[in-house]
Amino acid sequence: MKYWMILKQSLKAIFANKGRSFLTVLGIIIGIGSVIALISLGNGVQSSIDSQISKLGATSLTIMPGASNFGPSSSGSTSQTSAPKGPASAGGGFGSASTLSPADLTSLSDKTKNPKVKAATGAVNGTAIFTVKGVEQRNTIIGTNVDYFNIHNLPIKSGHSISNADLDNKAKVLVLGSTLAAEVFPDINPLDQSVTIGTDTYTVVGVLKKATESSFLNPNLNGYVPYTSAMTTFGTSAFNTMLAQAIDENSVDKAKADTEAILLKNHGITDKKLADFSIMSSKDLLTTISSITGIITSLLAGIAAISLVVGGIGIMNIMLVSVTERTREIGLRKAVGAKTSDILLQFIVEAVVLTLAGGILGIGLGYLIGLVAARFMDFTPIVTLEAIFLAVGVSSAVGLVFGIYPAAKAALLNPIDALRYE
Amino acid sequence: MTAIMSLKDISKIYKTGDEDTYALNKVSLDINKGEFVAIMGPSGSGKSSLMHIIGLLDTASSGSYCLNEEDVSKLSRKTQAIIRNQEIGFVFQQFNLLPRTSVTDNVLLPTIYGKVKNPEAKAKKLIMEVGLEKRANNKSNQLSGGQVQRVAIARALVMEPSIILADEPTGNLDTKTSIEIMTLLKDINKKGATIVLITHEPDIAKFASRIIHLRDGRVVSGKDK
Repeated sequence: MKYWMILKQSLKAIFANKGRSFLTVLGIIIGIGSVIALISLGNGVQSSIDSQISKLGATSLTIMPGASNFGPSSSGSTSQTSAPKGPASAGGGFGSASTLSPADLTSLSDKTKNPKVKAATGAVNGTAIFTVKGVEQRNTIIGTNVDYFNIHNLPIKSGHSISNADLDNKAKVLVLGSTLAAEVFPDINPLDQSVTIGTDTYTVVGVLKKATESSFLNPNLNGYVPYTSAMTTFGTSAFNTMLAQAIDENSVDKAKADTEAILLKNHGITDKKLADFSIMSSKDLLTTISSITGIITSLLAGIAAISLVVGGIGIMNIMLVSVTERTREIGLRKAVGAKTSDILLQFIVEAVVLTLAGGILGIGLGYLIGLVAARFMDFTPIVTLEAIFLAVGVSSAVGLVFGIYPAAKAALLNPIDALRYE
Repeated sequence: MTAIMSLKDISKIYKTGDEDTYALNKVSLDINKGEFVAIMGPSGSGKSSLMHIIGLLDTASSGSYCLNEEDVSKLSRKTQAIIRNQEIGFVFQQFNLLPRTSVTDNVLLPTIYGKVKNPEAKAKKLIMEVGLEKRANNKSNQLSGGQVQRVAIARALVMEPSIILADEPTGNLDTKTSIEIMTLLKDINKKGATIVLITHEPDIAKFASRIIHLRDGRVVSGKDK
């Protein structure tokens, strides 16, 4: 009853000065708002990345040339000079000359040597210039084999795929992604048309069905040729990347280990740490990217949290002004029997109610900012229950911490000093 | 008759620079239960300091003060707050009411800090007794000076205290309103409450049954009944 009455007193004081109360909590609203906005955007980005990576397939293994210091696979490294995990080392392998050869692909595809791998493929990346409505544009050409379409689930719509005979003959044949085909040959059947890649002339033999796009892959805009032909045209003898698919999700780790052993043996390397390639499962990729987005999200939220502290100081400032302004009120309350603890409670409740209200309004504001920001990007913000509890907890803690000093100042006043205050 | 308030050699010293100023200088006096005492004196004579010590709003520099036969210097701040709440009702000259707060809520203010039966009903009855039933929901800043003092008297009575301390309750009021307020206090006294009133107006002091004169912090006359 008494506490309810004191809460009522606090609420009355807040509503008696609506304008000032709002300005006081504005700092908290903005602080909590920005924390919530950043966390919800971070979560949104995270889940959008998650879903795109899962489109790559949970069973696929990506083999990249270069030193194996990417992501979790380097955790066994004891070298003092090895780059730390995470973004700094992510580029480590990309610039290196590739040693992934067609012979490696043959070994990886060998079911007796690599029983847990259902299919393996390689990709030679190049580009070619296409003319769309009179304007030239550059598109990606991937030199590969038929397993690439199987692993990525890219069925043929018309014509035929890349055959083993095409590979053996280094045939200059081209399969087009659906969008590319429609753009380059809008009015005619693309099949049997000629396309120049580098200095060679390729013939279109097939067109893919429209596939789902993601930020990582847009198979609809690519052209696909036999990797043997691509190696000739682009003047290389190695794959830019290789891809293997485990027979099921439980076999991913075994498939990864087998693949690593085969490649090490093929490349004549005995020490794992000296491997000239790295193998990543979708899970590894997810872990790495999650840790990066996690770091960025918490960094940004940390910066936003500074504004919370500033907001808290604003609360303290206004509470101090309010204590001074209401000194005689405090004196009167003490004269009619308010104890030190009653006054302390009243002012702390006032500060906490203010910040709590600010926190709740801030959650709304943060969600709105997230929604607006997400409209310009391609994902939905996610406000988690944890973020809400965090925001409410932090804002009431701010109110408590910054409210105690003014409240104590008010409560410890001598009744007569407070009454006489001018 | 037992003294409800008993002061012995009470001094109140204010330090102004190097010099000590005596607001009260060895004041000794007894006030009995049910008395209506007026404390008079020119400004600076120590009337207000005396009332603040009597009302436990301030502490004496030296001397002893027994309220209901209990030495108040031995009481904790918390106990003093409880006594102010339960035993004493204050009517001040200025800043009597909470600003922007209704008459009813002002009268109910002491009930937040202590127990009393049916506070709402009691407040309603008291507001009627001081003749403000039509203004019960008005905010304190919409009241005239006389109305403010009536609200203060109602508030002073809501906890049914045995002592009412009034510091120049008619200081800002015209004669007619002053007499109305004093009549109200006289009635309260008749019902059994001890009243200590501070004033510098002889006409107002006439309502009291005893007049104590203070000058330069000393009791000049009216020490004993």
